[in-house]
Amino acid sequence: MMSKEKPVPHPAPESMPYWKAAGQHRLELPRCNACGEFWFPPSQSCPHCLAADFAFTPVSGRGKVFSFVTFHRVYHPAFEGEVPYVVALVELAEGPRLLTNIVGVPVEKVACEMPVRVVFDDVTDGVAVPKFTPG
Amino acid sequence: MIEPSRELRDVCAIVGAGNSRLGRVPGVSSLDLLVEAMRNAVADAGLKVSDIDGIVCRGPDESYCHHQRVGERLGINARFSTTLDNGGASQIMSVALASMAIKVGLASTVICGYGRDAWSRTHSSEEARVRNETRPESLRAQEFGPEYGYFGAVAAHAFGATRHMHLYGTTREHFGEVAVAFREHALRNPDAQMKKPLSIATYHEAPPIVAPFGLFDCSLRSDAAGAVIVTSRERARDLRQPPVSIKGFGSYNNLTGWFSGDNMVVTAAKESGEAAYRMAGIGPAEVSCAQLYDCFTYIVVAQLEDYGFCKKGEGGPFAASGALRIDGRLPTNTSGGQLSEAHAEGMLQVVEGVRQMRHTYPAERQAKDAEIALISGHGGNQVCHSTLILGRA
Repeated sequence: MMSKEKPVPHPAPESMPYWKAAGQHRLELPRCNACGEFWFPPSQSCPHCLAADFAFTPVSGRGKVFSFVTFHRVYHPAFEGEVPYVVALVELAEGPRLLTNIVGVPVEKVACEMPVRVVFDDVTDGVAVPKFTPG
Repeated sequence: MIEPSRELRDVCAIVGAGNSRLGRVPGVSSLDLLVEAMRNAVADAGLKVSDIDGIVCRGPDESYCHHQRVGERLGINARFSTTLDNGGASQIMSVALASMAIKVGLASTVICGYGRDAWSRTHSSEEARVRNETRPESLRAQEFGPEYGYFGAVAAHAFGATRHMHLYGTTREHFGEVAVAFREHALRNPDAQMKKPLSIATYHEAPPIVAPFGLFDCSLRSDAAGAVIVTSRERARDLRQPPVSIKGFGSYNNLTGWFSGDNMVVTAAKESGEAAYRMAGIGPAEVSCAQLYDCFTYIVVAQLEDYGFCKKGEGGPFAASGALRIDGRLPTNTSGGQLSEAHAEGMLQVVEGVRQMRHTYPAERQAKDAEIALISGHGGNQVCHSTLILGRA
């Protein structure tokens, strides 16, 4: 039987620093030391210039909703009590887009271009999932 | 810019087409569905299976060297045989690769096809459904999705729909007309999985799945397969069916991802279509019927724009005008499509395009005066696209 527990992130090796920072309630993305661009999801070289010299760097945690969807159907038993819930693609002020949830607002109020800021949802010891809320 | 080779225009033809039983076919594997469609295609062409010397197909994701299993079942060896991996874009890529192989002499008669037991595999148990929809737990890394309750292709495409609605004022009324038009076509197709009429009221009353998509925005889960046979135009003359000429094909892959740039709104159909139009030497105005990859209603709307049948942003009103109906300006998915006929990841679109070009349908199923069919394939996490242009030979 499928677990009723929500899936927790099982990071790829290249995303470990992202999740470590998130666990401490900091949003950090890889930033290229050659061209200065941020990118996401994490990888070992910059998709803008292919340089391999980068550092996980704090971002503002502010952005806007690029697009979003509202789950009404339960795809995983752990989300049975959650529907309807919003999954959104948030475009950070620094450029990259993050898949996330929009929380702290009724689902019918979520809109494209809505300004949002990061909040952290502590799921287990040392693991926190970045979500976004209006503001 | 490199021009797609015009040397391939009208060089090959599709001489056989077939489908398996469609819909709910319990106890038959993906492979056997495919072989059933292939047998029908061989019979349709008036060929013997030993005439086939090439196989190009896509396997179900879990099958290793699927073309080898297909050859085993057909009982043939092949000069040219391989499996492709472009998701729903693979089926047209199969026909394109077959044409190239024939052109350069690597094979003379190539069978292409795809089949999947998608209904059976997801209806054997509730656990099977959940496992199918939430991806295998054995995946090495699981992040940036499941922890947010993000699962499945419905949601991925719904992101595009939301953005399109935001940018262009597209509405669910527009999406509804796509679903209703294709259902009308399915009712004329005795093989179709869906047998009941669909009204726009029923469309709106259906439960939401992942908004903005409701039940009828989503394509079917089907046990289904399709297959076609490609050979040279020269050889096609001696065969049983009116040959259908391969006039052009193209592909494009937005590998930067569905969530990158404008990819969820301006799809790879744009570049794929431009390449196919150039090879065929035509433009959208010459297309008389379309068989578009319709995993979801929205993706049809986007493709209508990206293929140049209307301006960007006007796909919704274009569909709502009735243009997609069998008697409309651009009869589209004339067998019912994946929304209402059956879902074989684009392969049945190819089969239907061939049948429309033969002009052997009863009047109620025939796109009037259809001389050119445009067929699309879309898949691989929404970013791989392929286009096939067929014409009457």
